Amino acid sequence: MAYSDKVVDHFNNPRNMGSFKKEEEGVGTGMVGAPECGDVMKLQIKVQNDTIVDAKFKTFGCGSAIASSSLATEWLKGKTIEEAQKIKNTDIVQELNLPPVKIHCSVLAEDAIKAALADYQKKADGALAEAK
Amino acid sequence: MDHQHTHNSSPRDLQMARSMCWHCQSEMSGEYFCDRCVKVQPVSKELDYFTCLGIPRRLTIDQHQLETKFYELSRAFHPDFYQNKSVSEQTISLANSAMLNTAYRTLRDPIQRAEYLLDLEAGAVKDIRTSPPADLFEEILELQDTLDEYRAADRASSTAATLCVKLQAERATLERRQQVMEAALQELFAQWDALQDRGEATSQTRSERDRILKHMRDILSNRTYVKNIVNDLVATIS
Repeated sequence: MAYSDKVVDHFNNPRNMGSFKKEEEGVGTGMVGAPECGDVMKLQIKVQNDTIVDAKFKTFGCGSAIASSSLATEWLKGKTIEEAQKIKNTDIVQELNLPPVKIHCSVLAEDAIKAALADYQKKADGALAEAK
Repeated sequence: MDHQHTHNSSPRDLQMARSMCWHCQSEMSGEYFCDRCVKVQPVSKELDYFTCLGIPRRLTIDQHQLETKFYELSRAFHPDFYQNKSVSEQTISLANSAMLNTAYRTLRDPIQRAEYLLDLEAGAVKDIRTSPPADLFEEILELQDTLDEYRAADRASSTAATLCVKLQAERATLERRQQVMEAALQELFAQWDALQDRGEATSQTRSERDRILKHMRDILSNRTYVKNIVNDLVATIS
């Protein structure tokens, strides 16, 4: 099966690959996996004043999974938490032109975004409770 | 006498409709063929693979029994035997053959069989998807970094040699873990079958049942993650 040019581009030049320290302030980590295919995705965001200033990912999986998470980090940068919540897997499918058999990769990326946001929120709430 | 009752029994009515021959409308008593007009009957899409192939819903199965039934039904449904029959019968034979092949392929393999059973049973189990194994994911991603390092390193260098030793060790550890998982799965399969054989439906057996299914789900998922990284490892260092 043929990957779209955009998938190949993200695969060959992944954006924002790497990771932040989990404990670092303002960092949210999302770790998700697809038991069906065994792909593993880690997506992290760094938040300042409700805005995502940086994002990083590490993905072990097929080209589409890598491209989906790479694209997700690109999109996340500069977005507010609220805007980030609105990213849908269908947006990724459209942008990367993913075939039906690879839609689950975009779902995984959306799950990773949601997990990272939730983790950030949990940490922020915890810090708030501690400050009180 | 109780018209309220008949009014509420629509699922039952549906079942009745399916058990009528599509051709002569007589009530079906045969398995896949109408007793009266001998026409082939469509295998219901809701029929589970175990029932379709006439074996009990267990995780340890009689492979010979499975195969025998598969061949028997394959012959019965084979499209070649329906070339001179009506279009309806040809369509049914084709659909039945397709379903039969999928059912056989799924049940033949112990892992696919377990996955399928989980699909069948999972509806009743709450939260069968437990939280992802974060530790395992970290480990996999870390290992992948080492693999990337090794791929980038000059094969003749001492760095590559050191990395190779490290990766060999990782491989051995992971393969041992795979064996542990396989053994745990076998044990769970046996537990599941024993529970089914007892056939009780107390709250205790229900929670036992949920525990087995959940545990099975976890191991099957982890098994896939580990299998993938091991494949990658083996392909890279050998």
